[in-house]
Amino acid sequence: MEILSLLAHGFAIALTPTNLTYCFLGSFIGTAIGVLPGLGPPATIALLLPITYGIPPTSAVILLAGIFYGAMYGGSTTSILLNIPGEAASVVTCLDGYQMARQGRAGAALAVSAVGSFIAGTVSVVGLMLLAPPLAAFALRFGAPEYFALLVLGLMMVGYLGGGSMTKGLMMAVLGLLLGMVGLDPIMGSPRFTYGVFKLAEGFEFVLVAMGLFGIGEVLVNVERRVAPEVLKTQIRGLLASREEWRAASLPLARGSLLGFFVGVLPGGGAIISSFVAYAVEKKLSRHPERFGRGAIEGVAGPESANNAAATSSFVPLLTLGIPGNASIALIFAALLIHGIRPGPLLVSEQPAVFWGLIASMYIGNVMLLILNFPLIRLWVRLLEVPYRILAPLIVVFVLVGAYSVNNSVFDVGTTVVFGALGYALRKLDFEPAPLVLAMILGPQLEAALRRSLIYSHGDLLVFFQRPIAATLMALAVLVLLSPVLRWGLERKLRELVEPVAPRD
Amino acid sequence: MARRDGIAALVLGLVAGAVIHQAAALPFGGARNPGPGFVPWWAGVALAGLSLLLGVQVVRARRGPGARRGVEAARGDWRRVAALLAALALYVVALDPLGYPVSTFLLVLLMLRPATRRALVPALGLAVLAAGGSYVLFAVWLQVPLPPGALLR
Repeated sequence: MEILSLLAHGFAIALTPTNLTYCFLGSFIGTAIGVLPGLGPPATIALLLPITYGIPPTSAVILLAGIFYGAMYGGSTTSILLNIPGEAASVVTCLDGYQMARQGRAGAALAVSAVGSFIAGTVSVVGLMLLAPPLAAFALRFGAPEYFALLVLGLMMVGYLGGGSMTKGLMMAVLGLLLGMVGLDPIMGSPRFTYGVFKLAEGFEFVLVAMGLFGIGEVLVNVERRVAPEVLKTQIRGLLASREEWRAASLPLARGSLLGFFVGVLPGGGAIISSFVAYAVEKKLSRHPERFGRGAIEGVAGPESANNAAATSSFVPLLTLGIPGNASIALIFAALLIHGIRPGPLLVSEQPAVFWGLIASMYIGNVMLLILNFPLIRLWVRLLEVPYRILAPLIVVFVLVGAYSVNNSVFDVGTTVVFGALGYALRKLDFEPAPLVLAMILGPQLEAALRRSLIYSHGDLLVFFQRPIAATLMALAVLVLLSPVLRWGLERKLRELVEPVAPRD
Repeated sequence: MARRDGIAALVLGLVAGAVIHQAAALPFGGARNPGPGFVPWWAGVALAGLSLLLGVQVVRARRGPGARRGVEAARGDWRRVAALLAALALYVVALDPLGYPVSTFLLVLLMLRPATRRALVPALGLAVLAAGGSYVLFAVWLQVPLPPGALLR
């Protein structure tokens, strides 16, 4: 009952004209950037972060969260109609969504995708609402060793699930930790890696790093490629699916929602992985897996519901443990810090307006997105006709002016450009910048937790293995770290067992 | 792919070496009372170890079956990237003396350079709109004290 009264309080906050406007703006901008390839949610959130400095914290987080989950809706529209995924999380939707469009079933694919996204988003908000308060209460029992173990596990998961090589993911995480160490040491306050530069004593501003890596870095990569998307236009005949199509999509929708919720809660999980896992699960469970890739509605329903559910549930570790699981959430973490609010176990009790206002805005935002996505489909498709050579200077201008406005400093603009060049180099060398950003934001917390734990235990490293919660988290971290070796060993063993014995002459 | 990974392993290995060297100059403390150099030193060692591991993976991939059969990523025009980076560096230098509106106008015009040959007026219009619009939004509406330059001072 208490939860309902808290939710009602949240709705009272989210339904004020100002917050409704920010919720609408967030959902609208999110859908637009979801449609546009080459501009993802992290870059957009980084671009708009400076604008949120002057608005109340609840409104700021409502706007930024709307951009994040709104992008998941927008990404599916172009995947289905044009075979162009606006968002990485919608890549898998192209496989069957576009085939459906070519068969004249674009309306059905769009309807299932939008309604599925709405259902999954709403299910996930309910999950977030029910799971977050008890998890936050549990996290209040954490001391420095538990926090250190949790942060280590989080970084391992980000390296493991971040896509690509785990070695490279961990390298980025360590580089991020090192970047987070530039400035004053968190315990003694002595300068590190500042090289006598006064501005470096304050450390690298996280927002500048994110704007450089995701904003400028993304533009540099796209300017180099300059590949004009091959737009294969298709007819949108009606926006309703048949009863049979809804029946076929209902179970994948339910499975995608649940799967997406749980994958999204994991650090490094998130929308991209959940959509791929949901597609694989649906194909595996289907009686006719051969239909996948040829216009199976289950191939749209599962991934689309999963990516929306994951986008919402990735707020769970942020709001309860203070650990961002992906780059967009890390930027929302930074936005809250800028407003003097520390995400973590105390957020639910100390900042109920922010927590419940955000939850309520997510319900409202999902309804807005459902309404926005149906009548405006043609507008979103037309948005793709804006050439990138026009979009790129506008993105760059927004990044540069945003960088300047952080501290009203030209030095910050230079820092952003340098990180833009680094972001480009990392992409060229096949490194994901997300683990770097996450580790940079978690680095100071990790170092403080480690040093406090060691001081408390008089240098005994067993402190991380003697306390049950810390020991469990460390064991999981070791398991994640060793998982590539374990998988390699298992595959080798299986190959030996399966390989046929060579025939004797 | 292997070549790029090799370069990455080498560069990050050098970064790790520099970090270890710099961290060694900071008070290290000990496990009972870690100093400011403790975590950076260990982080440097971890980065060195991971760079070595990536290097070993590169060597193994080169020697393994199917080496050289990997698909190379599509090559783009790196000169466009270099030109944009140079323009951005110039922008940083020019921002204070020239002011935000003029330097932003020039940057946008430079980025629209291929279009200016065919349609100069729309390109000029977009550059004015981007520089002027963002100046009004940030300097006038959001009260960010953007450098005005000699023109507006």
